[in-house]
Amino acid sequence: MMRGDLREVLRRRLGADAGLLDSLSERDLTELHDALRAARRRQSRALATATDEAMRQMPALVRASVARFVGR
Amino acid sequence: MVTDLATKAELVKLARTLDLPTEDLRFAATLDQHQIRRLRERVVAALYDEHRTVFQRVATITTLLPTPVNVRIALRAFTPYLAARIAGEMAPDKAAELADRMPVDYLAEASPHLDPRRAVALVARMRPDRAVAVVLELVVRGEYVTLGRLLDAATSWLVREVVTVISEDALLRIAFYAESDDQLTRTVALLPDDRLRRVVAHALDEPTDLHAVALSVIDRLTDDALRGRLAGYAAEADDRTLTTLLHSAVAEGALGQLGRAVAAMDAPARRRVLALPAIGGRLSELLRRG
Repeated sequence: MMRGDLREVLRRRLGADAGLLDSLSERDLTELHDALRAARRRQSRALATATDEAMRQMPALVRASVARFVGR
Repeated sequence: MVTDLATKAELVKLARTLDLPTEDLRFAATLDQHQIRRLRERVVAALYDEHRTVFQRVATITTLLPTPVNVRIALRAFTPYLAARIAGEMAPDKAAELADRMPVDYLAEASPHLDPRRAVALVARMRPDRAVAVVLELVVRGEYVTLGRLLDAATSWLVREVVTVISEDALLRIAFYAESDDQLTRTVALLPDDRLRRVVAHALDEPTDLHAVALSVIDRLTDDALRGRLAGYAAEADDRTLTTLLHSAVAEGALGQLGRAVAAMDAPARRRVLALPAIGGRLSELLRRG
């Protein structure tokens, strides 16, 4: 990804903050982007596991309704 | 790479937010403490807001059920991690009502995962004795970054209750990660003189890993008189200890903090410290330069 693109992706994710992203080099931007992406993946995995476990614990009668309600 | 103590504390908090070791934060090496904090706040928002809609829906369900039923469901079906994320989307009063009925272990497990932007409002509404119990459990678990964040929610009563039972070591480490200088100052001001003296003495003990922590905490105090008092307690240490403190300050890049601590001492204490052969020359020059 080009530097400008990466900066734009991070700006979309993190919001505009004058000076903050501009002060980072291309290498820094890449590392920050990778760190954020990895954190988002870890979080999604952890939440999916926790939500699956929660569903498993729900009484069968309400499980389907709750799953629909939370969009699963 | 890192020389500034406040920056070091901010890096630890950012690493924690991204679930990475601090060594992996090379991209932040050129940022100062304020920029790292701003970046952390942005990362928190990005991560916590990403799945917010789902948690808001679950939080809505909790408003329809009586508290005991919610507690039963949460303890049976939700891991502490999931409960923390849902609690962040509930009205703080409702979340606190639930928390007041949950086991302390469960709450301590959940605390690090609470949305930092909402944790203070929730903890501030919990029953004080429950909040104390959770804080003490977090101390046992060494969750100093979480405790530093939650310090903003601490009332005078809670601080007084907690400081009577936790160690000097824990007090220093929590203070190091405090979010707000003003709240840190208010909290330190609540400690009785003899306790403050013991905290400073403990910081100056061997091993030396708390030297820099204590210098950073003293430097962040926004009350000059209080800063002077703590620095004065440090000046009561023997020559060898103060010389070791200087070496730690050099090693940790904390000479500025040490210089400001010495400047805050009363005149006799300052004279004594500056008269020490290993310290006087270096600090006199620093103090002259302001």
